[in-house]
Amino acid sequence: MKRRVVLVDDHELFRAGVRGELGEAVEIVGEAGSVAAAIPLIRELDPEVVLLDVHLPDGGGEGVIAGVAPERPGVRFLALSVSDAAEDVISVIRAGARGYVTKTISGEELAAAIERVAQGDAVFSPRLAGFVLDAFAEGERVGDAELDVLTSREREVLQLIARGYRYKEIAARLHLSVKTVEAHVSSVLRKLQLSSRHELTRWAHERRLV
Amino acid sequence: MTAVFFERSREDRVLAGVCGGLAARLGVDATLVRLVFALLALAGGAGILLYLALWVYGDGLRTWPAAALVAAAAAVLLSALGLSPSTVIGATLLVAGLAVVLVRGGSLRPGGSLPILGIVLLLAGAVLFLGRNVTSGPFIVPGAIVGALVLIVGPWIWQLTSERTERIRAEERAEVAARIHDSVLQTLALIQRHAGDERRVAALARRQERELRRWLYGSGVAEAASLVDALADVAAEIEELHGIRIELANAGDAPLDDDLRQLVLAAREAMTNAAKFSGVEEIFVYAESGHEEIVVFVRDSGVGFERAAVAADRRGIVESIEGRMQRAGGTATVVGAPGQGTEVELRLPRSSA
Repeated sequence: MKRRVVLVDDHELFRAGVRGELGEAVEIVGEAGSVAAAIPLIRELDPEVVLLDVHLPDGGGEGVIAGVAPERPGVRFLALSVSDAAEDVISVIRAGARGYVTKTISGEELAAAIERVAQGDAVFSPRLAGFVLDAFAEGERVGDAELDVLTSREREVLQLIARGYRYKEIAARLHLSVKTVEAHVSSVLRKLQLSSRHELTRWAHERRLV
Repeated sequence: MTAVFFERSREDRVLAGVCGGLAARLGVDATLVRLVFALLALAGGAGILLYLALWVYGDGLRTWPAAALVAAAAAVLLSALGLSPSTVIGATLLVAGLAVVLVRGGSLRPGGSLPILGIVLLLAGAVLFLGRNVTSGPFIVPGAIVGALVLIVGPWIWQLTSERTERIRAEERAEVAARIHDSVLQTLALIQRHAGDERRVAALARRQERELRRWLYGSGVAEAASLVDALADVAAEIEELHGIRIELANAGDAPLDDDLRQLVLAAREAMTNAAKFSGVEEIFVYAESGHEEIVVFVRDSGVGFERAAVAADRRGIVESIEGRMQRAGGTATVVGAPGQGTEVELRLPRSSA
C-alpha cells in the first residue's frame, strides 16, 4: 500500500522535482507552500507522512508541527532542507519531526526514508548524525542524566551514520539486527527531543536570521 | 484634480462653507472649528484672513494667493501676540524664503540653479529678525548672515549626506552584482552548455550552492578558515572534477593550522581515489573534532580495496596519504574489502590545548 504524503515547501519548482523523483513510490495527496496553508490542509487530509521544509515564508517547519500535532498525533513529519545550520535542523527535530534529510537526497532514498518514518522509526542523514554527536559531546550535563547522554552503542551507531553507512551495513558491522540499529536511532531521537542539554536548548533558541 | 485636500461644504455652511468643509475633512465638530476661527478673528483679524485663504484655496486650489493670505494671517496673529512689527515681518520673510527654496528647488553647488529669490528673502528676513531680537552690537549683521547661510546650506548638506549613503548603497549593489556575475551567472552559463550531462550539471549546482551559502551565511571570505570549510572546498572541487556527489558531515570544527592543512590534503587524495576507483557516485566525508584528536573519514561503498590488485600508482597515492599524515604527526588507515567499499581514516592528535 502506498503511503499518503503531503508536501510542504514554498518552492513550486522543488515540489515538482520531488513529485517527479518519488514517482509512483508514494501517493502525494496534497501540497502547500506556507505554514498558514499547510495546517488546515494537513488536518483535513490526515496523511501518514508530511515532508516538511525547515524554512517557510511565514515561519519555520516547527510552526506547522505545532499547529497540527495536537489534533493529528498520528501524522509524522520528515524535515527536508538545504539548510546547513545546525540550529535550524535541531529546532525542527525538537519540535517533533522524526527525521531530517538534505534536499540533495535521491528519490529512491527519499522513498525509503518516508517508509521508515511512516513505520514510526527515525531517519538521520549523515549531517544530522554529526550535529547530534556534537550536541551530545562530552561536557556538562543538566537535568535527567539518562536523557542527557548517549550510550556508547548509540554513539557508535550515530558515527557510522555520519560516515555514510546504511542501517544494513551498520547492523552487519556491529553484529546487530537492523531492528536493533533502528531502536538505537529512535532512542537517540527521543533523547534529542526530550533532553534539556544546554547545547540543545541553545540551538533551539539561537535561530539564525536568514 | 489630484490630492484634493480641502473642499468647501455645500450643506454645512454659515458663510462660504469653509468651516464645515474643514470640519468634515478633519473629522471634528463644525462648531468647534467655527469657535477656533472666531477666537483667531479676535487676534487682529487673523481668523478672517485665514478664512479667506482657505476660501481662495478651496475654490480651484489657487495656491499662491492662498499662501500670501496665510502669511498675512500669521503676521497679524504674531503681532497680536505682542511681537514687534520688524520681528513679525522678519519671521514672515524667513518662512517665505524657505518656502521659495523648497518649492523652486535649486542648490549652491556649481552648475546648480541658485535660488536667488529665496536667498534674498531669507537674508532680509534674518537681518530684520535678528537685528531686532539680538542686541549684542557688532555681531548682529554677521550673525544674521551666518544664520541665513545655515538655513540655506543646511538643506544642501543634508542632501549631500543622503547622496553619500545612496552612493554607498549603489557600491554595495555593484559588489553583489559582480559577485553574482562571477559565480552564479557563470555557473548558469556552464549548466546551459552542459545541459545534457546530468552529473556535471549536478556537480556545478552543488558547488555553486556551497559557495553562495558560505558567502551569505559563513565567514564571507573566499579563503577557508576552518577544517570544515576547507573540506567543503576540496569536496566541491573533486565533485566538479569527477562528476560525483560528496556528502559532507561534521561534529564540531577547528581553526585551520599547518597540520590540519596537511590533513585536508590527505583527505583530498582519499576523495580523489574514491572518485576515480570506487565506481560509485557518492562519497561520504565525516569530520569529528574532539578535545584530544581530529578524525576525518572518507568513505565509499564501491568496489573496495584489494591489496593484491592495487595498481602501482594507486599504492603510491596511499603512501602519499600515509606519509603526509605521519609528517603532520598523525596516522592514516585504509580499510576495505572487495565489494564492501573503502574507508580512509585520518587521525590527528590535537597538539596544543
